Amino acid sequence: MSNLSSRRRALKAAAAGTGLAFFGPFRHISYAQGKKPIKLGLTCDASGQYGDSGQDDMRGMVMAIDEFNAKGGVLGRQIVWITQDTETTPATGSRVAERFITREECGFLVGALHSGVANAISQVAQKYGCIYFNSNSSSPTEAGKDCHRTKFVWDGNGTNFSKAIVKNAIAGVGKNWLLLTNDYVWGHNTSKAARAEIEANGGKVVEELLVPQNTRDFTAYLLKIQQLKPDVVAAAIGGDDIKALRTQVSQLKLDTKPAWINNQQDWPDVWGQGADSLFGVFGTNWYHKLKLPGVDDFVRRYQVRWKDAPIPVPGNVSYNGYMCTRELLRAIERAGTTNNIAVIKQLEQIKVSAVDRMQNYDAYMNPATHHLQQTIYMARRNDKPVDKTDLFEIVSWTKPEDALDSREDDLACKLETYESTPTYEL
Amino acid sequence: MTFLAQLLPHLVNGISLGLLFALIALGFMLILGVMEVINLAHGSLFALGAYFAMMLLAPKLGLSSSTFAWYAAMPMSARYALALVIAPLLVGIVGMAVEFGLRRTYGKDPLYGLLFTFGAALVIEESIRVIWGTRDYVLPLPDAISGATLVGGMIYAKYRFFAAAFAIGMIALLWIFIERTPYGAIIKAGAHDSEIVRAMGINLSRLRLLVFALGAALAAIAGVVMAPFWGIRPHVGVDAVVPAFLIIVLGGVGSFWGAVLASLLVGITVGLTGAYASEWSLLSMYLLLVAVVSFRARGLFGKKSVLEA
Repeated sequence: MSNLSSRRRALKAAAAGTGLAFFGPFRHISYAQGKKPIKLGLTCDASGQYGDSGQDDMRGMVMAIDEFNAKGGVLGRQIVWITQDTETTPATGSRVAERFITREECGFLVGALHSGVANAISQVAQKYGCIYFNSNSSSPTEAGKDCHRTKFVWDGNGTNFSKAIVKNAIAGVGKNWLLLTNDYVWGHNTSKAARAEIEANGGKVVEELLVPQNTRDFTAYLLKIQQLKPDVVAAAIGGDDIKALRTQVSQLKLDTKPAWINNQQDWPDVWGQGADSLFGVFGTNWYHKLKLPGVDDFVRRYQVRWKDAPIPVPGNVSYNGYMCTRELLRAIERAGTTNNIAVIKQLEQIKVSAVDRMQNYDAYMNPATHHLQQTIYMARRNDKPVDKTDLFEIVSWTKPEDALDSREDDLACKLETYESTPTYEL
Repeated sequence: MTFLAQLLPHLVNGISLGLLFALIALGFMLILGVMEVINLAHGSLFALGAYFAMMLLAPKLGLSSSTFAWYAAMPMSARYALALVIAPLLVGIVGMAVEFGLRRTYGKDPLYGLLFTFGAALVIEESIRVIWGTRDYVLPLPDAISGATLVGGMIYAKYRFFAAAFAIGMIALLWIFIERTPYGAIIKAGAHDSEIVRAMGINLSRLRLLVFALGAALAAIAGVVMAPFWGIRPHVGVDAVVPAFLIIVLGGVGSFWGAVLASLLVGITVGLTGAYASEWSLLSMYLLLVAVVSFRARGLFGKKSVLEA
């Protein structure tokens, strides 16, 4: 009995010591500055279809946080962050969000690549009134039927990219289109947007092939495409699936005929596969070799911060992670408080100059949908690269107003009222 | 006739896919059949094989020292052939290390072996991340087997035919090894009754070590062959271990030809659904498993399962 008792004492002492060691420095920072840090929960995939992209997203977020902390934080408070793998799985995203809000006391959540995960996180966030930034998931439904008062969407969506390219492609390439669609919410909604644009511009969808997530062998689809002979294949395939597709299309030399339009190519999906497997025309909202003010400096800062990153330059995913985190921290600063409603009202009025965003046109937050409207770029493989990172040739850029998602998905967005959104201040 | 003409390329594709699935499942089948261990590290060993092959095929990524300049100067086809031999040998050695750790679980609840190989899978995958990073790589191929070819008006990847033929060769070699050599007889005897094998003076520990090494090497061969299709990334093995497990259960645990037939069935099912009901293509293999196991719990050719007491 006495042994048990002394063992309990020893365990309690060890637990107390561990607790002190773990929380000590954190409290020290807090008390030293007299203010509690602002805590962000970074909901980033580290595994699954978007594991690589999730980590790239996080590098951008952490870079923005570091820069604010170097300037003394926000409202005189340091920014601290935690992260947990959301596994490209909606159920995990939901669980992580619940934990970050209720147990970790995160005031703000940032991050998503997969639309299902983003939607799951945003439902939990709305329940608690926690502001959530969907940094990189681009299903039109995210700022459409699945919009929330507490959610802000930062990437261009499927409709933006379709609007920027379909009309010209029908005129220049042909009217018969085949849709190759990842069988989940982003794929469905992106192809739905593409279909609407195709039909509105006199084109015809001859077939839509649904591709289950985690498909690694695309031969059956590529044989079907050969049999149907479309003029254009519009692919809404993401993550590891698009990597496998690109490799196999290149092996078959099907990369020039039919014409390929890949809705959006995330930089982490492109990097590592090399230029040879890059084909067709595709969308992006940023490129590290844009000839615009601030771009070179941003790339340099990224390279200093992430010397050993698997990708040596920032791409659209880390750019979005950085930009949205920066705008969140700026909004808190402008609001002068962490009160969620005050911050939401600041975010709804965001206007960012082209120079500040390192894009060609000014961007603005659509207050009715909480979707950032921004410059949309169309790109293709760069046949005259200046270095090994110069994979894209930017062929055009479209004004936010010309790529605006103005049809049913926009109208489908019904934001909750301020009054029905729980309020908090940390 | 038009329908048949349309169907034929998809049947060919399904059969070739089935052969590739068989290649993936061979090592898994061997270890489960002989050692009664569900090797969840199979996928990680598969990935490791692909990474070793990448180092051997693209020396700039791995063997960058000028000491290996002579190797880098070798023709790609020679390096590819070497990769198909050396990468499995290296992974076989890793497999031996795993088997050493696994020994403590023999004779205990099968769950211990399952958990051990799961842990080994995590360790191998994280080691890959530490050594090669998280980025993707593409396995370069010799010109002779890369590019496309026109068959019956359809474009196919030459490499797919090569990989399918290679899979047939590996299936035949493994069958000859198991059925026509004394070593194969010992392995089969070990699977049937390990106590009798031990009583006959055969070193059972060494037998298990070699079988695990062979299973790991087969996983690596599959990794090398599949890399040009699937790419190379740390978690690529996850894509291999699930169909391998499914095929062994479908074919019947311990049955060589059951596994081969199950692979072909899965390949044809996935290939045809990919063409005619694309959204069902991945699910179809699971539905096939449910359909078969509902009527025959031991799979197509399964005798009394080695997992049954």
